[in-house]
Amino acid sequence: MPEILEDKARTPVPALDAVPEPWNYNPSAWPQRVRVSLLAAVGFLVAAYMGLYQLGLIRDVWDPVFGDQTLKVLDSDASHRMSRWMRVGDSLFGSLAYLGDIVFAMAGSTRRWQYRPWLVVLFGIDVIPLGIVSVILVITQGFVVQAWCFLCLVSAAISLGLIFLAYDEVWSSLKFLRRVWVRSGGDLGVWWRVLWGKPHDAAVRAGEDIVKWREH
Amino acid sequence: MWPRVFEISLGAWLAVSPFVFEYDLDGDRFLWWNSHLCAAAAIAAALASFSPRLERAHAVTVAVGLWLVATGYLFVPFSGPVPPEYQNFVMVGWLLVMFAVLPSRSATPPRAWEDWWRERRRG
Repeated sequence: MPEILEDKARTPVPALDAVPEPWNYNPSAWPQRVRVSLLAAVGFLVAAYMGLYQLGLIRDVWDPVFGDQTLKVLDSDASHRMSRWMRVGDSLFGSLAYLGDIVFAMAGSTRRWQYRPWLVVLFGIDVIPLGIVSVILVITQGFVVQAWCFLCLVSAAISLGLIFLAYDEVWSSLKFLRRVWVRSGGDLGVWWRVLWGKPHDAAVRAGEDIVKWREH
Repeated sequence: MWPRVFEISLGAWLAVSPFVFEYDLDGDRFLWWNSHLCAAAAIAAALASFSPRLERAHAVTVAVGLWLVATGYLFVPFSGPVPPEYQNFVMVGWLLVMFAVLPSRSATPPRAWEDWWRERRRG
């Protein structure tokens, strides 16, 4: 078995830098994931800053466009209702989600789309559905409260940017999981174990199926 | 091992929280014990995870984190404001869950996969 890219000192698993379909780069590579983390870090700071206001630790929030409308949004009934559900300020909860994006982006090998699908799926859930929900909440809040908040809109834009940066890896992982299902002949038990990072022949073949660049 | 280091730090924060939030010692026995027991459990589980035999001990911390989040729903009426102590529990709880689900050696594939490949090469 040829293993050009294998790093024997660290792991006996071959070709961690393989390129999965349909991309011509590895979406689990470090530069890809660091990019996500950096953008999520900006999102974290923006959300945490507004969280400080909701905690009562600062008295004002910077807004170069809508002025004191920001405070109307952050003090609105809509915001308070969400905070009641989450038990902490909604901005603070948002900052938690951004922090999750960073943490889940940084864990795993550069072939985690195959060897830790659960982690990529968790990362994907944090970035994509949660991101979309937060964007929708920010926009509806604007219409309900009849006030707009510049940093909330910045945060929504960051959420969309994160989806754009992260969907490729999630897509490869889902594609891989689909191939595992096919390769295992529709064996739910095998599929479930592979999802959680357990080895199986079907997972190796499914991986080979969607790796474009092969190690020869 | 970086997730374990964060868990220990969060545990340390939880352990000093009673002093930061100035819990009332007579009225808040539960808050006091909850902070200290959860802190001890999270730190102990993280430290235990450094030993190869107890590698997965940090799974305990997922339960600790979920419990901390649950306290915010169980012991605070839904209508009123959430006291800072409980907001702290909820935040630290989510953070603990976030880190505790991560494996200790995460930069390389899971050990089961490594063993599998080693085996396959030998065979």
